[in-house]
Amino acid sequence: MNEPIIQIDHVSATYGRGKRLVHALCQVSLEIHSGEIFGLLGPNGAGKTTLLSCVQGLHSPKSGRVLIDGIDVADHPTAAKQHLGIQLQQTALLDDLTVSELIEVYAALYDVHLTASQVAALVESFDLTEQRRRLARRLSGGQKQRLALALAVANDPQIVLLDEPTAALDPRARRNMWEIVRQLHQEGRTVVITTHAMEEAETLCGRVAIIDSGHICACDTPARLIADLDAHPVLKTSLDLPVQEVQTLPGVHGTRYSGQYLEIETSQPQVTLAALTQLATDLGRALGDFMLRQPNLEDVFLGLTGKELNA
Amino acid sequence: MKRFLVLTKAMFLIHLRNRATLFWNLAFPIFVLVIYSQVFGQNTVGNTDYMSWAAPGMMVYNMLSFGLLSSGTIMIQMREKGILQRLQASPMPAAQLVGSYLLVNVAIGCLQGALILGFSALAFQMPLTATGILRAVPMMLIGIVTFVALGQVISGVSPTVGAAMIIGQVINFGQMFITDMVMPIDMMPDGIQKVAPYLPAYAVAQLVRPPLAVGTYSPDLWPNLLIAGLYAVVAGAAAAKLFRWAPRG
Repeated sequence: MNEPIIQIDHVSATYGRGKRLVHALCQVSLEIHSGEIFGLLGPNGAGKTTLLSCVQGLHSPKSGRVLIDGIDVADHPTAAKQHLGIQLQQTALLDDLTVSELIEVYAALYDVHLTASQVAALVESFDLTEQRRRLARRLSGGQKQRLALALAVANDPQIVLLDEPTAALDPRARRNMWEIVRQLHQEGRTVVITTHAMEEAETLCGRVAIIDSGHICACDTPARLIADLDAHPVLKTSLDLPVQEVQTLPGVHGTRYSGQYLEIETSQPQVTLAALTQLATDLGRALGDFMLRQPNLEDVFLGLTGKELNA
Repeated sequence: MKRFLVLTKAMFLIHLRNRATLFWNLAFPIFVLVIYSQVFGQNTVGNTDYMSWAAPGMMVYNMLSFGLLSSGTIMIQMREKGILQRLQASPMPAAQLVGSYLLVNVAIGCLQGALILGFSALAFQMPLTATGILRAVPMMLIGIVTFVALGQVISGVSPTVGAAMIIGQVINFGQMFITDMVMPIDMMPDGIQKVAPYLPAYAVAQLVRPPLAVGTYSPDLWPNLLIAGLYAVVAGAAAAKLFRWAPRG
């Protein structure tokens, strides 16, 4: 595997002081390799943005160090920042500049001076050609997110840090953004994404670090994290059934409620489904929806922390 | 250098495309001058007709309100939207951002001044000389820097745009009528006449008006330069200390 392009070494970070002191990160260590799409998966408040802020040089860790391509962020912040392209959690755009003007300015922040044709090419690659002369405040939500990604790569960085890049996007726009992220990866860039969406982490990321309450709980490929969980498929149903009776059905290893659905972990999905159907019939309940899903990162998170990912 | 120029151009466009800036800082002062000419236009102040006396004061008032209100609130908006934090995440030195912002503020202040003087010369036959304008320009620059620094202090202490507007308006209107900008100070009560000369708007008005009105500096040039300079230095240091890239909390 490549040498780590981002090395996070026993980083702890706090906010506030005295009684308001918050330990946002506790001895976090990670290595992110060149050319991978790396995900930080965790719920809101887990420390994802704080960790990214330490990498970006926006927040000084209380202890530990961050190296970007061998450069210590604390000692040489300017040199370290030169390697990075950034999209912050808040899509921060200068509303009174056009799309083309913004790309020119954001590249210039890194002392990269794009020609008109280079700006046009970048605009086209993010499907913003029709909006290139439009002021940022007149863009739709999806267009603003695409523009924010375009600005993150305007300086042609090795490493792109994206903080919740698909937040508040509809499913179609979210899939379009995933395509853009894959494109960035195919260009040879290292992409680091923070997300609280399990599907996004599983779909996009080669490796995922699960973070909760400032700690890294696990870090590996999604497939290995799920395999290590040694979990069973989950039968999801909207049936209203007494949980104690469901737990005695054949093949059932555990039950829990997720929203309005009852999730039943079972090593024998067909057998359990048949038994569920029989139980519903015996109790005079109407058959509702059934879904079978394989274990996913949400189960991994629950198994590691005892909490739901999107609670 | 090219980075600085690109950023400065962008900041300039942002200010000029901001409709509030355009109205309050470029159109509104002209409107006020017209009103004042209708109400006070027949009066004189000393040996000077009122409009030739008031126009420089209106320039100073406009610089004051731009510095205290527009300049400070634009910075807060950029902070609230996360734009400053995005700039902080780039390798651009903070000094370049500050320099760019200041340069744009100075340019807009000069544009405002030129508009007011040009209108006054055309509409009210205000006599202007090249020497007087050349002498007034450095004083205007001192005034703009002083008021922008004060505005940045306000942006540093204010958590929101709303709070900054309130603080700025109190300081702005507090000085509008009592610092010899558009109302002669000898019309004010004795108590105000004693305090006003130590206020920044008064000092800048005494620096800018004489070269434009009579072509020479006032005999009180150095004391007023000292007062304006002190406000600029102290406010500038305070603004630097109070500056935040991100909102509190």
